[in-house]
Amino acid sequence: MTTQLMALMSRHGFLRQAALVLALLAPGLAPAAESAAVTTPRVSATLLSSRDTVTPGERFQVALVQKISKGWHTYWQNPGDSGEATRIEWALPAGLSAGEIQWPAPKALPVEPLVNFGFEGTLLLPVEIAVPADAKPGQTITLKANATWLVCEKICIPEEGSFTLDLPVAQAAVVDESAQARIDQARAILPQPADFKGRLSAEGESLLLALPGIAADIRDLRFFPLSDTLIDHAAPQPMTADSNGVTLQLARSSAFKLTNAELSGVLTYKDGGVPRSLALTAEAAPALVTAAGQAASAPRPAVVRLPMPVEGADLTLWAALAFAFLGGLILNLMPCVLPVLFIKALGFAQLARASRSEVREQGLLFLAGVVSTFMVLAGIVIGFAALGSGVGWGFQLQSPPLVIALAVVMTLIGFNLLGAFEVGTSVQGVGHGLASRGGRVGAFMTGALAVVVATPCTAPFMGAAMGYAVTQPPALGLAVFMALALGFALPVVALSFAPGLLRLLPKPGRWMVVLKQAFAFPMFATAIWLIWVASVQSGPGGVLAALVAVLAAGFIVWLSGVSRDSGRARLIGSALGVVAAFGAGWFVLQSAVPSATSEARAADTQVWTPERVMALQAEGRPVFVNFTAAWCITCLANERVALSRQEVKEAFAELKVAYLKADWTNRNSAIAQALAEQGRAGVPLYLFYPGKRDGQAEILPQLLTPDSLITAARRAAGLDLKTVANRP
Amino acid sequence: MTAHQTCKTFIAGLAFASLAFAAGPVLAQGAAKVGAPAPAFQAIDADGKTRNLAEFAGKTVILEWTNHDCPYVRKHYNSATMQGLQKDMAKEGVVWLSVISSPIGEQGHVEGPMAKELTAKRDAAPAAVLLDPDSKVARAYGATTTPHMYIVDPKGTLAYMGAIDDKPSSSAASLTGAKSYVRQAVAELKAGKPVSEASTKSYGCAVKYAPVS
Repeated sequence: MTTQLMALMSRHGFLRQAALVLALLAPGLAPAAESAAVTTPRVSATLLSSRDTVTPGERFQVALVQKISKGWHTYWQNPGDSGEATRIEWALPAGLSAGEIQWPAPKALPVEPLVNFGFEGTLLLPVEIAVPADAKPGQTITLKANATWLVCEKICIPEEGSFTLDLPVAQAAVVDESAQARIDQARAILPQPADFKGRLSAEGESLLLALPGIAADIRDLRFFPLSDTLIDHAAPQPMTADSNGVTLQLARSSAFKLTNAELSGVLTYKDGGVPRSLALTAEAAPALVTAAGQAASAPRPAVVRLPMPVEGADLTLWAALAFAFLGGLILNLMPCVLPVLFIKALGFAQLARASRSEVREQGLLFLAGVVSTFMVLAGIVIGFAALGSGVGWGFQLQSPPLVIALAVVMTLIGFNLLGAFEVGTSVQGVGHGLASRGGRVGAFMTGALAVVVATPCTAPFMGAAMGYAVTQPPALGLAVFMALALGFALPVVALSFAPGLLRLLPKPGRWMVVLKQAFAFPMFATAIWLIWVASVQSGPGGVLAALVAVLAAGFIVWLSGVSRDSGRARLIGSALGVVAAFGAGWFVLQSAVPSATSEARAADTQVWTPERVMALQAEGRPVFVNFTAAWCITCLANERVALSRQEVKEAFAELKVAYLKADWTNRNSAIAQALAEQGRAGVPLYLFYPGKRDGQAEILPQLLTPDSLITAARRAAGLDLKTVANRP
Repeated sequence: MTAHQTCKTFIAGLAFASLAFAAGPVLAQGAAKVGAPAPAFQAIDADGKTRNLAEFAGKTVILEWTNHDCPYVRKHYNSATMQGLQKDMAKEGVVWLSVISSPIGEQGHVEGPMAKELTAKRDAAPAAVLLDPDSKVARAYGATTTPHMYIVDPKGTLAYMGAIDDKPSSSAASLTGAKSYVRQAVAELKAGKPVSEASTKSYGCAVKYAPVS
């Protein structure tokens, strides 16, 4: 009612005077200084002033008010995944100025699977107006605002409204109490400037926002960045707390761009159930800023696939299946898998005279273990590839705690093989025990374990097949991994089904005990290697964590042995064991964090970046890029047998080959992307770029020899063009 | 034997539990990534024919997420800007696929005949209109808005994803002087140059997604 009255008055000057008199005479009926409403079925908007009259030189608040219908929303400065922020354009008399919109903290409004940032219900957007000092009492100033906003439910409607407020200039300001109260209330809930600075850093694909001033006991913490190209708006923001405060893990936006080292945003959280918000500025790690500036437009060196083309169109499904099967078969010979297969074969040897059907059953269970584990890993790899995230074969070894867990597993198996401890029923019960559930589960789990320890290896043929798998629809991808699994399981299954072969195995006897003990040593070797991987990933802390984990595991195994006989001892033993397990687990998680940088480990190599490749090519130097990881056995083998050989080093020096290393020991999105571009799911990958600008790289086979490397170097240096032409 | 198998069962189980744990935080982000192979897809077009990305191998392909009632889409169609872009791209030999992802019962859902009528009525010139009512293609590409543009190069690599131009507004006035990211990217691809702005923030109405079945 008052709104309409006021609107009427605004349009008719004389009425306004009368109304003022009326308002002064009847304070109870004081008209709100509010513009005419622009009303649609979705929004009713007005411009509200905290003053009925203003005085020269003062600053006061007005607010754009949006009463938004239920189910609809308008947008914050950064609208999130879609939408558009409300905007106000002012047309003000000379001398008057309007400030920026003072935005309240937004709400995250999910529109599955997207998230918008905006407002529901009644929204006030305060703006400060400065009246010029030379405004004359008696004069009337007219505030004109043209506001546009997008209002969305399922559908979106762009709306706009023009608002006019006439405010008389007087010697003394007349405050509209109710309007002032509404605006004050709106300003009271504006985000308060945080008394600390955030720090934004990169962790692989994600971003970490460290918030030193936030208490760990708050709830529902969420960061709303002002920039819409910083984070994935819909991703969850897991929070971790330590003595330095709280850290939010944020997913990078697919359009990630950070041009300024300082970024701002709003934090919302609940403190004892009370919603609060803070206006935050954060300092971004310099690498993040420059890397981002380049990432958006980074020129990438050209690559040609020579020996084994892997683009979807190039490698047929049948070829991929064949490669995968063959690769799986060869994987059996890799040093990481062999000990596990020894154990299985040993089991068969013991069983050979027990029952053929039992052996067969064991073989099939092993097959089931292999296949289902491959399917789980493939599901994860394909799933992550489908999500555009940089994981590949062996991804789990990028997690130091998992590497350490595997090292512990290897150590325990080693000691078990040495007979240092027994678990469960005594070893005499083998014959009967095998038919028991434990034996079956054991066979299945041996298959699973074989696959898990096989992941650091890429056998020849596997790289291309897996590259194919992750770029195809999931069903085809799984088929390729299935072929890999079948190839991998074939030798053991064949052994279990071939009585002839089994009969060739010698009778069980003392030799078996000796062999079993001997197999402990490959296990220890693997454990040592894994601890070394942890040291590369996490530095000295990783080694300490791994050794503490081994100690705790040994302690627990010993405890379970000594406390077996009495109920009370078992209870105490179990309690101690649980404490030790949790303590060691906690320590591992605390200490084994990936180092921030993974630098090339050899002195004569440089760290790979696409820009570096292009720069070196421009200098006329052939460039060799070694995509490797500490946990990749094939990579290490290649380094020993080919890359570190004197003749290779000499040839590289003579041909002025630049040697770049892309180390994927820890997660690195640039490397993951480069691998994906080559149709690869993991390391190793060897590229040889010719020493001319924009020259295309040759992909070398996965097993290197000094000869093949030197020949490739000569080709890259342009000395052996005939060979290039003759290549398939 | 049983003894150490039981032990292995236990520790392998542990290793597995931790594996599953590590795989837990799956990103809620779209799949497509500039520089990586464009996600393969299969969808029915307005004529009821099954189309997939592979059939356009060797050609540049533009995907346009659209919703005829979205004000941002209308801005581009009512002014004939979008149709002009489609026709220019067709002249360059670029395949233009308009994708409609609204599921049945959601705003923007259309069936084949309606999609064809919209194309004819607006004088639009896509090579095909793909109907994606189960939002599979949208999910594969992580499309968030209408319009949302993706460019796949002849090698099948995603060369551009993001906004259609640099003026995130539904007002027709914003078309004046807007920089077309799509034109820029296609021109750079044609010249054999890297796409200078390969990933931008798209703007518009939210893509209506079908619930995951």
